[in-house]
Amino acid sequence: MRVITFTGLCLSLAVSVASAQIQPQTMQPSETMAEPGENWIMTVTRDAGYIFDASNGEMHGLISISGHTPAIQPNPARREFYAAVSYYSRGSYGERTDVLTIHDFENLSPIAEVDIPDKITSLNFRAYIGLLSDGKHVAVSNMTPAQSVSIVDVENRSFVGEISTPGCALILPVDNNDFMTMCGDGTLMLLEVDGNGNESNRVRTKKFFDVQEDPIYDRPVETADGWLLVSNGGKAFDVSTSGNRMSVSDAWDVVTPEDAEDGWWPGGNQPYTVHRDLGLLYVTMHQGERYTHYHPGTEVWVFSLAAKRRIAKIEFEKPVRGVMVTQESQPLLMVADEDGGTHVYDALTFKFQRTIEGPPAELFEDF
Amino acid sequence: MNKKSIVDQTYYWIDQTAKQQTLKLARLISRRNFLSRLGMMLAGAATLPLLPVSRSFAQETLQEIGDPQTCEYWRYCALGGTLCTCCGGTITSCPPGAEPSPISWVGTCRNPVDDRNYLISYNDCCGKSVCQRCGCHNSERDKPVYFPSNADSILWCFGTEHRTYHCTVAVVLGEASSKG
Repeated sequence: MRVITFTGLCLSLAVSVASAQIQPQTMQPSETMAEPGENWIMTVTRDAGYIFDASNGEMHGLISISGHTPAIQPNPARREFYAAVSYYSRGSYGERTDVLTIHDFENLSPIAEVDIPDKITSLNFRAYIGLLSDGKHVAVSNMTPAQSVSIVDVENRSFVGEISTPGCALILPVDNNDFMTMCGDGTLMLLEVDGNGNESNRVRTKKFFDVQEDPIYDRPVETADGWLLVSNGGKAFDVSTSGNRMSVSDAWDVVTPEDAEDGWWPGGNQPYTVHRDLGLLYVTMHQGERYTHYHPGTEVWVFSLAAKRRIAKIEFEKPVRGVMVTQESQPLLMVADEDGGTHVYDALTFKFQRTIEGPPAELFEDF
Repeated sequence: MNKKSIVDQTYYWIDQTAKQQTLKLARLISRRNFLSRLGMMLAGAATLPLLPVSRSFAQETLQEIGDPQTCEYWRYCALGGTLCTCCGGTITSCPPGAEPSPISWVGTCRNPVDDRNYLISYNDCCGKSVCQRCGCHNSERDKPVYFPSNADSILWCFGTEHRTYHCTVAVVLGEASSKG
């Protein structure tokens, strides 16, 4: 007993001495987000946008969203992020309120809200929100189930109005503050928007695809001079605009007849991505049957957009359900596997770099 | 014969001809007969879109096989969502307290028992948190979100008091086409 008492006394003295040797710490002010660097990306989950430096896997902060947010739209010129969100007064039920929240780069906190009609689509589709070319107006897709688009002036923090888009959905911003939308009758519609955010004109392409036979994915991707559309069956279309004219290229093969014979199909929830300056297209591919357009890919095929042909294949042990290439000159390929893992590959050498821990990403966002 | 007299006689001829034709028609077809034919036409037109449903009702019972709590169950071929059968509901009814959406998307699935295609209405149950059990993403004949009536990704909690998505049921509307 005496030994135990002596030992206890010694320990308490030791602790006192140790405490005396350091300055007690106090809570410091919160960090602010550093200036976004090369290969910074966001993984968007149901509840939040996680900001990472993909080149080292470090996390730099988080943007809170509701579980009813289609995507997060960055606006680097104004150092803001935009998220259209639905809130219910009692969490999963109660009065619904839809707003466009504006988050700053510095604290990733909401600094403003704009009331918008309680009509937004809450599915994780990147093209349900778009920043128009003037950097001042944001377009948000609605469905009630009638389809329309709400326009928000983010400079004046005000709702401008609603543009009806019957039979058409998704927002593909182009030059002159205009945007295209994809239509169920196999066409694209161009909505011309004036400097105040109001519709000034609308035009349609001729029908160039058959939604029953081979629909185009509702995941369009921006290219250097327009948009790339890929169909469930692997036909690609380059789309560009000039004034109020839209041009749609002839279809070219992501899946050649020989590939089709071997049963190859695109698939996944972010199934293709484009490096705009390098003109490279990456597509997740799997062997299967028709109507497997959400199936994860066992391979990612790489195409030259200029040559319109495949130039490489990357095989994956764990199937891939989404890809996104960063836009740097030394780009990285973000890969979401079927179990929710997020991995980083060199987009040119295809070498594995690292795995980033975190909740499963519904979408990757580059900024 | 002056101009007025010619006009009067012409009107008289038109009146007489119309009267004779009307009387002739009345002798051939009774008013009740006309109304009954008109009624049949209207009823027929109204019934036309329901014909597949009527055919299914004409069957005694739909023979099915499989486990409705698995994504592989035949009715779920175009279902994207969570199964109400796993969440306290049935294949045609919502779990307690959830509100069925009156608007749905429609798929066409083949019943393995009789090898026939059936129209399936996928109705979402709404107003509660997502039931995170038995999540399925089947996509047979699924279309993109810009073609909503056949898009399984869309949440169909429209026209309900609360718009949050809970789970999905699969109701057989009727036979879609003949065998094969």
